[in-house]
Amino acid sequence: MIMSTNLKKILSPFVDIKGGLMPALHAIQDHLGFISKDNISELAIAFNYSQAEIIDVITFYDDFRLEPIGKNIIKLCQAEACQSQNCKQLLSDVSSHFNLNLNETSSDLNITLKEVFCLGNCALGPSVMINDEVIGEATTKKIIGHLKNHKIQNNE
Amino acid sequence: MNKAIKIFIPNETSANSVGAQYIYEVISKLINKNNVEIIRNSTWGAFWLEPYIEIEKEGIRRGVSYRNIDLSDLTTIEDFLIDFNEREPFDIQSIDFIKKQKRLVFSRIGHHDPLDIQCYKNTKGYKPLLNSLKIGPQETINAIKKSGLTGRGGAAFPTGIKMQTVFDQDSSIKYLACNADEGDGGTFSDRLVMESDPFSLIEGMTIAAYAVGASKGYIYLRSEYPLAKTFLLKAIEIAVENNFLGKNIQNSGFDFNIDLRIGAGSYVCGEETAMMESIEGRRGLVRSKPPLPAISGLFKKPTLINNVVTLATIPMLLDSDEDEFSKIGSNKSVGTMPFQLSGNIKHSGLIETRFDISLEELVRDFGSGTKSGNPIHAIQIGGPLGIYLSSSMLNTSLTIEALQELKGSIGHGGIIVFDNTVDMADQAKFAMEFCVKESCGKCTPCRIGSVRGVEIIDRLQKNKTSVNDAKLLNDLCETMESTSLCAMGGMTPNPIRSIIEFFPNELIQK
Repeated sequence: MIMSTNLKKILSPFVDIKGGLMPALHAIQDHLGFISKDNISELAIAFNYSQAEIIDVITFYDDFRLEPIGKNIIKLCQAEACQSQNCKQLLSDVSSHFNLNLNETSSDLNITLKEVFCLGNCALGPSVMINDEVIGEATTKKIIGHLKNHKIQNNE
Repeated sequence: MNKAIKIFIPNETSANSVGAQYIYEVISKLINKNNVEIIRNSTWGAFWLEPYIEIEKEGIRRGVSYRNIDLSDLTTIEDFLIDFNEREPFDIQSIDFIKKQKRLVFSRIGHHDPLDIQCYKNTKGYKPLLNSLKIGPQETINAIKKSGLTGRGGAAFPTGIKMQTVFDQDSSIKYLACNADEGDGGTFSDRLVMESDPFSLIEGMTIAAYAVGASKGYIYLRSEYPLAKTFLLKAIEIAVENNFLGKNIQNSGFDFNIDLRIGAGSYVCGEETAMMESIEGRRGLVRSKPPLPAISGLFKKPTLINNVVTLATIPMLLDSDEDEFSKIGSNKSVGTMPFQLSGNIKHSGLIETRFDISLEELVRDFGSGTKSGNPIHAIQIGGPLGIYLSSSMLNTSLTIEALQELKGSIGHGGIIVFDNTVDMADQAKFAMEFCVKESCGKCTPCRIGSVRGVEIIDRLQKNKTSVNDAKLLNDLCETMESTSLCAMGGMTPNPIRSIIEFFPNELIQK
């Protein structure tokens, strides 16, 4: 099988370094959004793993995905500090607002809802991460506002 | 050239999460004068004040909390300066929350731009490394042994002894792995080091690597910390440019490089052997010990593994002028501990202090009680594997030894406060649910026991008086404790046992 030039370019910094598979998987997702079946067979060749071993690694980690995901990933922290700040209620509010259950993606591929355990923003819970940005003292309104203008809304 | 007016706007996850980044974007658009400059400093760790904006003028620095304040009406920088002055600016270093702390490891946070290496050097930075390079590896290890420093990641193993073990291995290749997979709910001290004083971690790693003879270091950072990643990458680059990393560091003949590796959302990868599996490019399955990582670790080579705060503490122990650190505390609880106060608490944040502070002092004097105004009901100490204490136990001292006596652990120093709306049976169930989600799956008691645990607690929530289920839960806890390879399965029972013991009739009724 001939590796696509694009993938070859993505993988090239990692094939010769020790333990390069994890950074390679991150790089594929950063560039392509998810890890496809074709990617798996190409990864197996590049890293001298069996395809089963590659899938083994991918499926162990929450961050890696085998299917396309929403353009915006909303991760709601459900760990203890946020529990003390009613994160369960927030999850249920957000879930009904977007009409999505956990790990579901909206049909327009705009939003995926996920849970996460600790964003290190425990002092200002409940915390939510939208893509790479953390929102403290999160409310459904703040989340909607953030999605609208990609800016943390300062006012309730 | 120094500008006449400096505006400090923190660039740190928590501050940004409540608007610091937004304020930065607003104010930077207003600046048209060349006598005003913005400095993105780090947080002071008093998170209830964030975004805390400061202005320095004529050598005097004062700040204001801009929480929930709309700045969209401002049209000029003068508007902002007037608005700022009307809000009664104060010196954050004069408030009790900061003044009453003993900030040694976190002495730099808040003051400067954390990526300004000159500021780092002006505040004793890199003097310890030069000192270490002068006295040599064994003397460096001796200094760390003498300090009494124990690992701040949870296990509290003496750091100097671990280093000696790695040093003593006869191997031409050795590694240093920094565990930055700070996954415990309620903890953020590692993140603060990486975002707010990254050079202290890099310097600590360099000293540790030199001492044990490692020429390659890894930082295993959790993916939930993207801003820490940005700071670390830049700090590593700056350290290389200044010959504090790379080849022949400061003409010592010592070579050392750091590679940043990002995790992928697995809690168990914070366990050191699972972390090594992950760095090597596999599932994060726990390894059995022995061999100890110090003897055969990463890629089967001797490896020194420490968490972020431990490594960031090392430089001050090599500063020949002071040994303030080791004068504090006793036994394993020597030095300061960065407690992280969070949850339902008015004044949340980082509190670096002596270990033997009481819970009372921490939650009342520093924390000022619950955010909701309701009475405190429970306090969880040390992350998801930590015990819950009841409101009648506030006189508990937070030393490593005192927590061990209560069959708990100070862990990573996370303190989470719950008010009286908490359902302790739910918290017990969460301990098992978390284990179901995060178990690596290697040991049956952890992988399957946790599933059975959720079921038993489910039944107990319907019938607290079931003698059978109470006994079954106790047996299950015992099995998990004694037959799991790592702390994930072995310590998941801790919070549950503490709820049974310290919260009578809330999970099990006798």
